[in-house]
Amino acid sequence: MERRAVIAQPMTETCADDADDALVSAARAGDRSAFGLLYDRYARMVHGILLCRVPPREVDDLVQEVFMLALRKLDSLRDLSRFGAWLSTITRNRANDYYRNSSRVEQPMEPEEEEQAQSRSNDHVAEQEAAMTLAVLRTLAETYREPLMLRLVEGMTGPEIAARMGLTHGSVRVNLHRGMRMLREKLAEKAGPKTEDNTKTAKTSGQNA
Amino acid sequence: MREKDRAMKDEYLWDGSGEPDPEVQKLENLLGRYRHDQPAQAPALSQLFDQLAAERPAQHRWSFSLSRLAFQLAAVAAVLLIGVATYLVIRARHASNSGPAWEIARIAGAPRVGWHSLSGNSETGQLKVGQTLVTDGSSRASITLDETGRVEIDPASRLRVVASGPNRKRLSLERGTIHATIWAPPGEFVVDTPSAVAVDLGCAYTLHVDDSGAGLLRTAMGWVGFKLNSRESFIPAGAVCATRPKTGPGTPYFEDAPEAFRDALAKFDFAAVTEEERSALVSLLMKYARREDALTLWHLLSRVSEADRATVYHRLNVLAPRPAEVTREGILRLDQKMLDSWWNSLGYGDVYLWHIYERTWSGDQPRSK
Repeated sequence: MERRAVIAQPMTETCADDADDALVSAARAGDRSAFGLLYDRYARMVHGILLCRVPPREVDDLVQEVFMLALRKLDSLRDLSRFGAWLSTITRNRANDYYRNSSRVEQPMEPEEEEQAQSRSNDHVAEQEAAMTLAVLRTLAETYREPLMLRLVEGMTGPEIAARMGLTHGSVRVNLHRGMRMLREKLAEKAGPKTEDNTKTAKTSGQNA
Repeated sequence: MREKDRAMKDEYLWDGSGEPDPEVQKLENLLGRYRHDQPAQAPALSQLFDQLAAERPAQHRWSFSLSRLAFQLAAVAAVLLIGVATYLVIRARHASNSGPAWEIARIAGAPRVGWHSLSGNSETGQLKVGQTLVTDGSSRASITLDETGRVEIDPASRLRVVASGPNRKRLSLERGTIHATIWAPPGEFVVDTPSAVAVDLGCAYTLHVDDSGAGLLRTAMGWVGFKLNSRESFIPAGAVCATRPKTGPGTPYFEDAPEAFRDALAKFDFAAVTEEERSALVSLLMKYARREDALTLWHLLSRVSEADRATVYHRLNVLAPRPAEVTREGILRLDQKMLDSWWNSLGYGDVYLWHIYERTWSGDQPRSK
């Protein structure tokens, strides 16, 4: 079953690579729509890689910055078929720079209206669970974290991940599988002490009442 | 069969085909809220190209500075020196004081001091340094000291007088609940708990300690300082602050804050979470913070990681704009004068009063379980 899938997909990869070649060439020549198509194709990958490393609130801005950077450096890309892998490296480096560059200017958030905060709070339990799950996912080793982030958060399939990042199907498949197992274990570990914390919180809340 | 099931579920993880794995589906639904949802837009792309045309190569600045390291080392050395000196001074001044006794009044049941129970309707007694007032499940009492204040003791409490010298009144609440109304000058009345010291800064408050040593302080009037070692919380009227053994006081908050805010704060303060999870909680706190929650955000400035501090700074600056003398850089390096200045601008109390307490009492710390 697995072997059949591996045999079936190189054609898709080849098509995708050919298309990338053409798009990258056109973008280099100043074709804005070609670069737009590359953006459409790779934005989720860039977004997911960034989400592995920087706070979620910063990711959208950094996606724009990564594409700016890529556009600026596009002439330095020698093997056009390696655009995805090249862009992944740029993205990781930008995420690392985010922490090095302490003078980064954050965009202040607009003041929130109390009513808005109240309505949002209805969904806060799921939101908090999502935030904590994302945090656990971010503790996995990079090898597992990235494909899993692209699969679970960005909704990319394994073959897509392999094609975009310039990896083999086999390695992505193994890393997704192992990463998922590790994530399950870590989430199960978290679920253990959580009960105790909840008890304490409930106790304190009881005192508040 | 089971292997086949697993293989089918692996297919779902791989490319979304086969039998859906409920756990993967749940994670997809949960985490899908972070998915990239900004399709490329022509204006945005044009802007990218235009910006690129307008940009000149930016010069990378490497700002690693040895002088900063030297400054930090000097600061640590200075703090250590001050700490040792203060310890020696306080130790020298730390003499046993017998001082005036608190007057006990029975309110209900039979509160007792040592072997002596107060059970008569008009029976009163005295509570001296070293003595402990104990109430059972049905007893209540109050203690009063003329120039200091009045403290009501709820059922199931143990309250000991630690010191009663001039300008230094110290009780220890080992368990239970007290309601303190204090008219002594700010910084003179202190209550130890197993996990923090409550310092009156001109106020009325309720303090509860449970059997584990965890506590909760709720201020009704004025404000209270709550401290364990270098961890300090200021709790103005309407706010509460929890404390836990070994951790010390959490971050104070107003009781009417959104539930999502309070939940995230409780986890931030006391749950065993990783740095990544703490950062995620900070994001939630920023999202749900209202103007009134500037109280909490000010405390978070010194409790979050360096990476998150700028975010807290900006949110606080939106909710309660910094005074003119406070700078972003100063706050990011936790300049105490600037932090104090911003606190004073919030209008909850003058931090000068807290520093009086620190000068008078520092070195006297509660034991932490």
